[in-house]
Amino acid sequence: MAIDWTTFTLEVVNFLVLVWLLKRFLYQPVLEVLGRRQAGVAHTLAEARRAEGEAAELRAQFERRLADWEAEKASLRAGLQAELETERGRQLQALSRTLGAERERQRAQEDHQAAELRRELEAQALLQARRFATRLLSRLAGPELEGRLIEVFIADLAHPPGDESAPEDSFAGLDVSALGAEGRARITSAFPVAEAQRQRLAAALTARLGRPLPLDWAEDGSLLAGLRLTLGPWQLDLSLADELDAFARSGNHGG
Amino acid sequence: MESLPALFHLGPLGITATVVTTWGLMLVLALGAWLATRRLSLNRPGLAQTALEGAVQAVDAAIEAVLPGRGSLLLPFIGTLWLFIALANLIGLVPGLSAPTGDLSTTAALALLVFLSVHWFGIRAAGWRAYLRHYLAPSPLLLPFHLLGELSRTLALAVRLFGNIMSLEMAALLVLLVAGLLVPVPVLMLHVIEALVQAYIFGTLALIYIAGGMQSGSESRPDAAPGLASAQPGRRHPP
Repeated sequence: MAIDWTTFTLEVVNFLVLVWLLKRFLYQPVLEVLGRRQAGVAHTLAEARRAEGEAAELRAQFERRLADWEAEKASLRAGLQAELETERGRQLQALSRTLGAERERQRAQEDHQAAELRRELEAQALLQARRFATRLLSRLAGPELEGRLIEVFIADLAHPPGDESAPEDSFAGLDVSALGAEGRARITSAFPVAEAQRQRLAAALTARLGRPLPLDWAEDGSLLAGLRLTLGPWQLDLSLADELDAFARSGNHGG
Repeated sequence: MESLPALFHLGPLGITATVVTTWGLMLVLALGAWLATRRLSLNRPGLAQTALEGAVQAVDAAIEAVLPGRGSLLLPFIGTLWLFIALANLIGLVPGLSAPTGDLSTTAALALLVFLSVHWFGIRAAGWRAYLRHYLAPSPLLLPFHLLGELSRTLALAVRLFGNIMSLEMAALLVLLVAGLLVPVPVLMLHVIEALVQAYIFGTLALIYIAGGMQSGSESRPDAAPGLASAQPGRRHPP
């Protein structure tokens, strides 16, 4: 096959035109898009790096702030711990004082309860003793014992006022004038009193009171033995029952 | 040897089937390029755009592998060579059409354009003096051999493509005549592979010749770029 120069020339021109056409409509648009995309990717990468740098900076800043917060928190915690220790010590001292006072109160209460128990036991013992003595003395009581008690009463009346040798000045607070002119004396005994003993008792009473008083005589078996002298509101006992009551009361008041 | 008869005349110019087929290919390529690139998406490329970008990038990468930094300069010429020759070779498969590359006029025109491109890009890269000086290197006695090499490789470029495509079509025709319809598919597959291989060989040789011209001119300069020199083994003729 020979070369056709017209075809040869036209093919040269055709190819050059095709190069221009493809450059214009294919290579340039595609390369432009690729370049723009690469630029966009580069821009995105740059933005990403910048954002990464900012994130790193923010992270470092946050870590520094976090460290500051941790330090401040530790400081506040130490301060709070110290305050708590102080408050705890104060509370412990207050509690110790309260417990001490409570212990004192408890001890006082226990002492009081012990004393009460002791008094109660003493009272019960005295009551038992009184019952026992009452039962015993009830069997021993009689006109003879009562006569001796009246003699003792008369002997006590014979002691002048203020005599320290007297066993007990039972008439110290007696004001005869308060009885008035119509005042009477009442003598109660467990057994009938002999007439002679009645006269001696009246004489001793007149001598002691300084003036004679009309006497009323009565009997009361609850006295067991002895007598009771009643002058208006004033009363004087010298009887086994009265002594036993005094004995029993001594336990309540002596404790 | 006789040339193809003219189908019609445009004034004094006789238009052959080769030229008409080439115009058709040009129309298809230009129209396809315009349609493919008129709505390119920057952020959401479709499947076709991705394939198109991949193909352009592959050609650009092939050029960059040979001549780093010169991809955008040589892409239109080398890319068009590959594209046009591949389609021109394959068009012969269409019944009633003949491959333009089966015409020696076309392959000679392409070889002439490669020949001129070698010098054009070589002079652009190194300058007149530096480029012409490499014909005298390493000795002025080798100048005739350099010129003979230039002519022979250009001739080989044209004849290789023409001979392969013409012989391929002729062989396929003979096989079909002998074997009838028993072997059309293997012959067609062989045609496709051969068409693509020949297009690749022609474009690659053109790229190597141009790279050699640009490199030889740069090597003769004292301030030659080391990257360009190291990227190419030297000015060689293909086997």
